[in-house]
Amino acid sequence: MYRLRISNLQAHLLWIACALVCLFSLAYVDPAEAGERPHVLFQQTEAYCLTCHSNPELSMTFPSGEVLSLYIDPENLSHSVHSPQGIECEACHTNITTFPHPEQEYADARSFSRAYYQACQKCHATNYEKTLDSMHQQAFEAGNLEAPICTDCHGAHDVSDPNEPRAKVSTTCSQCHDVIFDQYKNSIHGKALIEENNLDVPVCTDCHGVHNVQDPRTEQFRIQSPEMCAGCHADAELMAKYDLPADVYDIYNLSWHGVEISVYKARWPSIWHDTAVCTDCHGVHTILSTNDPLSSVNPANLLATCQKCHPDAGPNWTGAWTGHNKISLEKTPFLFYTEAFYTSLTPFVLWSLVIYVILQIIRATVARVRRSIQ
Amino acid sequence: MSRKNNASIHTVRYFPRFSLSRRWEHTFLLLSFAVLLLTGLPQKFRAMSWSQSLLSTPESVNLIQQIHHIAAIVLTLEVFYHLGLIVVKMARRKLTGEMLPTWQDVKDAGSMLKYLLFLRKDKPPFGKFNFEQKVTYWFLFFGIGIMVLTGFMLWFPIQVTKFLPGGIIPAAKMAHSTEAVVAGIFIVIWHFYHVHMERLNLSIFTGKLTEEDMKEFHTLEYQKLTKKSASRNLEGKK
Repeated sequence: MYRLRISNLQAHLLWIACALVCLFSLAYVDPAEAGERPHVLFQQTEAYCLTCHSNPELSMTFPSGEVLSLYIDPENLSHSVHSPQGIECEACHTNITTFPHPEQEYADARSFSRAYYQACQKCHATNYEKTLDSMHQQAFEAGNLEAPICTDCHGAHDVSDPNEPRAKVSTTCSQCHDVIFDQYKNSIHGKALIEENNLDVPVCTDCHGVHNVQDPRTEQFRIQSPEMCAGCHADAELMAKYDLPADVYDIYNLSWHGVEISVYKARWPSIWHDTAVCTDCHGVHTILSTNDPLSSVNPANLLATCQKCHPDAGPNWTGAWTGHNKISLEKTPFLFYTEAFYTSLTPFVLWSLVIYVILQIIRATVARVRRSIQ
Repeated sequence: MSRKNNASIHTVRYFPRFSLSRRWEHTFLLLSFAVLLLTGLPQKFRAMSWSQSLLSTPESVNLIQQIHHIAAIVLTLEVFYHLGLIVVKMARRKLTGEMLPTWQDVKDAGSMLKYLLFLRKDKPPFGKFNFEQKVTYWFLFFGIGIMVLTGFMLWFPIQVTKFLPGGIIPAAKMAHSTEAVVAGIFIVIWHFYHVHMERLNLSIFTGKLTEEDMKEFHTLEYQKLTKKSASRNLEGKK
């Protein structure tokens, strides 16, 4: 009976040992799980956090009544740009280092996001500072809390290359700018991008900028917009690829519209000027090929486009626009003959007169010298 | 009318050359031409920085265009007056036609060229208007015609293209812009040389020429006039 008798102390020790075994076996789960994912650096904190945050049910409720899911998809997290580089949860969630977490003081989900996105500038200072100079920041300062922050465009836990595929840029912007995206996706640029993954066509950010997105309705944006289009449309190599002329910008600059714009750009960039820039005739997000019957500059629609600024113009009016064409007998016969007149007959007559006057001067000088000698 | 051989008294004999009407025409032409050139060139060269410095505000561009338009109206009225006068004179059979180019002008040009190339000792004798002066008149006649026509096309392009093809508007712009420079160069080189440097000829302002100038530069006209007056004097003595 003695051997079977277990003292009070022994019972306690046995219970502790069992508890320890259980605890150790629990603790052993984490590194085992982490080890199952190849190419992923071992992250103590990430795995630690995921023990709770991999639960899809996990959520929190703000005083506003909003419910925020706290579920982090481990799969998404592992494919983000940060996680494989060993950038841990704590890098962004700087105030949460252990469990239990400190009390959150945010009234709603948006102010919670707006507070946490500040962590991005720790590493991405340059781009963060650019955003402070953006139209989006202006909207925020005007009181719009929905104005985008880093995570709205880049994502939070699933941050990935914003350029891959290229069309992703446009779909990112379309989250808010859906009406403009609908126009863009049917334009010649948008179609080539979305349907063919064409890397030459402009996405939103090529014209609007990336982090320091500016208001495109300002005088300054308008005045520099032709130059912006010229970035591609004056690139001979690029245009040759699509069988497009590369001299459209140069010819525009010689036109009535182009000269006006160049003067305003040089001298009065802050004064609004209505003279036509590329987008006034070709459209902005709706640009189509000139051959497209729906294009605003298709010959069938050109007069209506001119009449936006020249309301009284008649059907002959479109001929007054040389259509980005070099002077030629076929395309611009009146200009062709005028130029021919002023490059042949007029210089010939003028030079004859100049030579005649020079001969007169020589003859008169000789006559005067002869007279003084006599 | 006779010249005396007294050294202290020197009588200068003048010959009338331009009527008051012609002199006023020239004044309006000169003023409007100068204003048009001065207000037009900065517009032609708007891409150049000197023009942009001159037209330093959008308002100054507007102003210069308005001045240009006013001067254009003055020039146009002068052109209509001139053409109207020709028509009226033709109707009254009073147009002398002394400004019309003749075969004699071609021959005169040839002789003058020979003289300038030292192939001839003397200048050929000229009438009231020598071929140089006719060149001035006709060069500006057509030049101003081009400027007035194309100028109004550029001023009222919408109205003009109601009945003319649109392609003439950029052509008019090129013609207006180029012809202005051509006419400017012509005035400075050709006209200014002949009336300021070759000799100071202010007859278009004073309306008259001295006997010496008449003898030297308009020999045939001088002979014609003196013969006439001589015969008239004879008639008076009878």
